[in-house]
Amino acid sequence: MTRLQAGRASGWLWGLPAALLIGIVLLYPAMRSVVLSLTHQNLGTGFAMAFAGTDNFVRLAADSRFHASVAVTTLFVAASVALEFLLGLVLALATSQMLGAQSVVRTLLLIPWTLPTAIVGVLWTWILNDQFGIVNHVLIQTGLLAAPVAWLAHPSTALASMIAADVWKTVPFVFLILLAGLQSVPADLYEALAMDGAGPVAAFRYVTWPHLVPFAFIALIFRIVQAFAVFDLVYVLTGGGPGGTTETVSLYAYQTTMRYLDFSYGSTIAVALVFMLAVAAFVLKRVLREPA
Amino acid sequence: MVSVLMEPDGTGVWRDLVASFERRHPTLRVEFVEGPPATNTREDMYSTAFLAGRGGFDVVYSDVVWVPKFAAAGWLMDLTDRISADDREDFLPADVRGGTYQGRLYRIPALTDAGLLYYRKDLISQPPTTFAELIRLARQHRDPRGWGFVWQGKQYEGLVTSFLEVLWGHGGEWINAETRSVHLDEPPAAAALRFMVDLIGDISPPGVTTYTEEEGRAIFQNGRSVFLRNWLYVWGLLDQDGAIGRHQVGFVPMVHLPGNAGATTLGGWGFAISRFSDDPATAWQLVEFLTRPESLARVRDRMGRTSARRSQVPAELLPVLENARPRPPIPEYAQASDILQRALSAALTKRISVEDALRDAAVDTRLLLRRGSRRSHMSGGSSAQP
Repeated sequence: MTRLQAGRASGWLWGLPAALLIGIVLLYPAMRSVVLSLTHQNLGTGFAMAFAGTDNFVRLAADSRFHASVAVTTLFVAASVALEFLLGLVLALATSQMLGAQSVVRTLLLIPWTLPTAIVGVLWTWILNDQFGIVNHVLIQTGLLAAPVAWLAHPSTALASMIAADVWKTVPFVFLILLAGLQSVPADLYEALAMDGAGPVAAFRYVTWPHLVPFAFIALIFRIVQAFAVFDLVYVLTGGGPGGTTETVSLYAYQTTMRYLDFSYGSTIAVALVFMLAVAAFVLKRVLREPA
Repeated sequence: MVSVLMEPDGTGVWRDLVASFERRHPTLRVEFVEGPPATNTREDMYSTAFLAGRGGFDVVYSDVVWVPKFAAAGWLMDLTDRISADDREDFLPADVRGGTYQGRLYRIPALTDAGLLYYRKDLISQPPTTFAELIRLARQHRDPRGWGFVWQGKQYEGLVTSFLEVLWGHGGEWINAETRSVHLDEPPAAAALRFMVDLIGDISPPGVTTYTEEEGRAIFQNGRSVFLRNWLYVWGLLDQDGAIGRHQVGFVPMVHLPGNAGATTLGGWGFAISRFSDDPATAWQLVEFLTRPESLARVRDRMGRTSARRSQVPAELLPVLENARPRPPIPEYAQASDILQRALSAALTKRISVEDALRDAAVDTRLLLRRGSRRSHMSGGSSAQP
């Protein structure tokens, strides 16, 4: 055995613990979900497993509650991620030029992000409360509202509230990643541009943005994946109501699995969610033409 | 050692009872876990523990609507032969039925509950018996700044119980548990839901579509409504807070169409034992102790709740409680309830018509029940874990 071969063999050996870990905590549950989605295993079968073929997917295709949850989730992802990205970018650009104050501002901005999402949900139910909430108080004091509004009682304002709470919590995450990107841009490029007489718009377009793209990709992919799977915020803030109008795909999967005890259909919903995420990631990769 | 997950124990009476049990049996220990107030959440906690098998809770403090699901899943011990003949006689028949699944008893009743129509006795001499009288009296006696009738209109289990009473009063039915047939797209259901939709903005406030039990109680007890649909617990709280006292209030079962009978929804709590318990003997001793007349009397005195023992029910409540009707005892109850809640909530907030809401709900419910029966080899649960 040559040294190179020996090195290769031991390399595989070193990788084994990590591979095992990934296999147990990631691959096995994922595969099991796929297998479950092809069976009937629920309260009705006494939890015995029976092969179902594509039954569950046929049911999913005709399930109006699933369609509604996909629409809600997509709207939530599009609105919250777009707002988070724009606000994060503006904040990053605004603070990247600060010198002394930057660390203070950065720390303050990070506070919402450090709170557990369930707590953010509870916090926002009180912020939005019709009797005691600060939102109604401010709007009434400034004359924008005549009477308090129960924000979580109407489909559109409930979804908007969910988006607002999510933006509040996760703008800092986007901000931090983009700030790191801005700080990686070599300063001499800006000097060269200035010498050529380029303005700030040109500087952003030809220097800043090309450097930011890989960072933007990371920020967006993280946010999209997390937003697609949003659960805790909805569970606490609206519980999917009113009238099921804010139920997201992951909440539906949870209800199906835990409350209706239909493991196979719950898995089918989860598999569909993963598929949608894969499509979203693929599209994003194409749009941003990320090299790797 | 046995463990039990209970409701929040604000008065401390459950903890005290468990302490008495431990004093009586110095060798036995009980782990008392106080759960969150949302009953859905406690139901999920129990499901999660059952799915994990051993090591969960031994004693199950169970809502009446959980019994079919947990029993069909094979998670509860059959207690049919444990209960004494005297106790079986003493517990209210509706509560015993509510703890029974496919002829076997899985839950020993402890506290009973029923939905009532509370009315202001000081304003109305003769309580209404029909829907038309209810509306007439509400319009006639409502305070100009208040409302006529408040009930539970938010999308949750309480909305289903409010609707069921109106539905029964119209001579309708939701699901027949025996035949597993669905009756939501029949005329009585449409008439019942139309009645509720028309209440909103007339004798019921627009915000009623966001109310749970407590919002309505606050309005009624502050003298802002003539009628209130709520559970028995309000009766116990009438002299404790609010501007309206017990001497000003009366109750009847929900009103009905002329020629029909009014019915009230059965609620209530009892104790079951997990099939995964390592120590079912001790678990049974605890259940037997907690459901004794002395124990239930202490709960009644400290929490104002109503014992499920006929011998302890106040005479004025007995006629109502003996006619309480359970919600359909089917294993798919949670899902059927969700389907109905969403349809009712959509119709009450006028997002879809009464007919469309009920037709969609009927289709979805039939689909659900057909899926259940097509693959039904439920044996009462020999294979308990997935």
